[in-house]
Amino acid sequence: MTSPRTTGADARTRQGPGAVALSLALLPALAVVLLLFGGGFVLGIVQALGYLPGAGLGEWSLAHFARVLTDPDFLYSFLLTLYIAGASTAIAAGISIPAALGLASLSERSRVIHFVFQMPLTVPHLVIAIAVMFMLAPAGLFSRAAMGAGWIASPADFPLLINDAWGIGIILTYVWKEIPFITLMLLAVLRHTGRDLQDVGRTLKADAWQRFRYITLPIIFPALGAASLIVFAYTFGAFEVPFLLGQTYPMTLPVWAYKHYSDIDLMARPEGIATGIVIALVVMTAVILAQVLTKAARKRGLIA
Amino acid sequence: MKRNSISVVVLLLLTAFVLALAAPSHAVTPAPAAKSWDAVVAEARGQTVDWFMWGGSPAVNAYVNGYVAERLKQDYAITLRQGPVKDIAEVVGKLVIEKQAGKASGGHVDLMWINGENFRTCKRNGLLYGPFADRLPNQQYVNWEKPSVYNDFGEPVEGLESPWGSAQVVMIYDTARVAYPPRTVGDLLTWIKAHPGRFAYPAPPDFTGSVFVRHIFYHVAGGAARWQGPFQPPALDQAASETYRVLGDLAPYLWRQGKTYPESPVRLNTLFADGEVDFSFSYHQAEASRNIIDGLFPDTVRTYVFDEGTIANTHFVAIPFNAADTAGAMVVANFLLSPEAQLKKADPDVWGDFPAIDPARLPAGWQARFEAQPRGPATLSDAELQSRQLPEPPSEILITLEKGWQQHVLKGR
Repeated sequence: MTSPRTTGADARTRQGPGAVALSLALLPALAVVLLLFGGGFVLGIVQALGYLPGAGLGEWSLAHFARVLTDPDFLYSFLLTLYIAGASTAIAAGISIPAALGLASLSERSRVIHFVFQMPLTVPHLVIAIAVMFMLAPAGLFSRAAMGAGWIASPADFPLLINDAWGIGIILTYVWKEIPFITLMLLAVLRHTGRDLQDVGRTLKADAWQRFRYITLPIIFPALGAASLIVFAYTFGAFEVPFLLGQTYPMTLPVWAYKHYSDIDLMARPEGIATGIVIALVVMTAVILAQVLTKAARKRGLIA
Repeated sequence: MKRNSISVVVLLLLTAFVLALAAPSHAVTPAPAAKSWDAVVAEARGQTVDWFMWGGSPAVNAYVNGYVAERLKQDYAITLRQGPVKDIAEVVGKLVIEKQAGKASGGHVDLMWINGENFRTCKRNGLLYGPFADRLPNQQYVNWEKPSVYNDFGEPVEGLESPWGSAQVVMIYDTARVAYPPRTVGDLLTWIKAHPGRFAYPAPPDFTGSVFVRHIFYHVAGGAARWQGPFQPPALDQAASETYRVLGDLAPYLWRQGKTYPESPVRLNTLFADGEVDFSFSYHQAEASRNIIDGLFPDTVRTYVFDEGTIANTHFVAIPFNAADTAGAMVVANFLLSPEAQLKKADPDVWGDFPAIDPARLPAGWQARFEAQPRGPATLSDAELQSRQLPEPPSEILITLEKGWQQHVLKGR
């Protein structure tokens, strides 16, 4: 895979400031990230390895990681978390692409639509979770409306949408909350690039699908990938929505970590932190994997 | 929003790291100086007391941030700041980390609302300042002879916490829906099986869900009296197993077939108010009245206690080992025990909490005011409540049951 795209690389380095100057400029921000995230991560590992003298735990061992990883519930919790994060991200991204394309032409005419679309970004996840609970609970707003309309006879006939085995309430909350986020990320790209290329495509008689596949998708791909990754990382590690809208058991990894960490038995605390480290590792793996995939795709010329 | 995207857990780690930046050193719990009370009050002037507590009750929050904060400001020039948390165990966890990091003074938490297993954890790990309770002038009104005052869930208090109030479990039902509620725990179990899906309890370790499990435990394990003194571990194992078996058999008849549980008493109250279940219960005898006054429950809601009694306990305030404003915290603890603060707290329009002081020890004028206290529409009389009180079991039993419930009832192992 020795692709001769040196000219492109040269162009990139020429444009920006030198690597040294760049790192110097970024130093304050980097220091905060390295110190707080890196330091916290290291300290977490230390505690997950069982070093917690304040609670009378002073021996180093991998036993806590082993206990977490060999717990019969771990695999199920892991898969559940992966399923919720994956489904939320995929659905939100799938809806955001047409939404962004539609808005790109609409919002030129109407700033109001654009503004309305930004509003969900300001509402915290917790608030949406509570709203979803009030709307979708068996005795909630929708159920009562359906009963009033005579569609169902009793609240028991209303489908289980929260605290359900499939995490429907959780996924709905995330999808509702993340669509505007991904859409706005895509819009930022669409608004500034691609219109000329679309015209070129039309003059070359490319049909709508070809224009989407060979012009639009490559343009939005980096933004789509980055936004999806942020959404995945957030939904994989977030605690409040699955805590409120999930089943008591099985629970997602963040809820599991919280339960252990807040356990009155201090001996359970290293296990809570070990679970937190596992979550962080999964998210980091996802970030690295996405980088590798993006690079590979770029090399093969699939994306810009 | 997106920037703090990794997780609550990592944020906790960050906090831990920042705290750990202080060089670890040997932490010693400072003994209260042998100052006169006047000196303590003088020192407390101008201090800001950060009081961390469970923040799930609007009535409690309003009492603390309204009446108590205003009076402290007026009378003692103390600024009271409430730190509401979901579970005081979070704060206890933070104290453990601070102890580990050697942060022996200047701590952020000055006062905690605490009892039971959290007190036990604090006491055994040396996380408390004191003893200070016996130095508060208003201790003269407290009856320290009462088993639930000198022992907090079987753990001797020894002046490390000061009583604030007491509470008793009551069952909550709507007379418009259930005319004759089951009067014993045994009858309740029968009722639940006869009415599938109409009963729920919050998942332990939630405080309220946990006390429900202890009522079942007393029911199947020979009553409360048997578990007050020393007991043999095999006897506990056997009684606990029987408790899990009964609760496991009960699960298919619970709300949502026991596949999921309400995560908090607040949610249980919502389910009850929405008509999804027919009972709620509370560790506060006046909460139902409070909810009627607030319009959350219909006027037809009433409470009752089981014929064999319901569990009652005392709740306390304690000062962390590294509190920055100990003098202020002691003045607050003392003010909370004053007859006027206790009377205000007992008002059902305010909170309706049982007094921690014994009205019989008060001057006649105050006694009359306590007796004349109006009761909420759904609150039982003190006489009826006090004649049916069961003590809490030792914390070891509570922890065993909470852990066992998750293993055997929730996960079915």
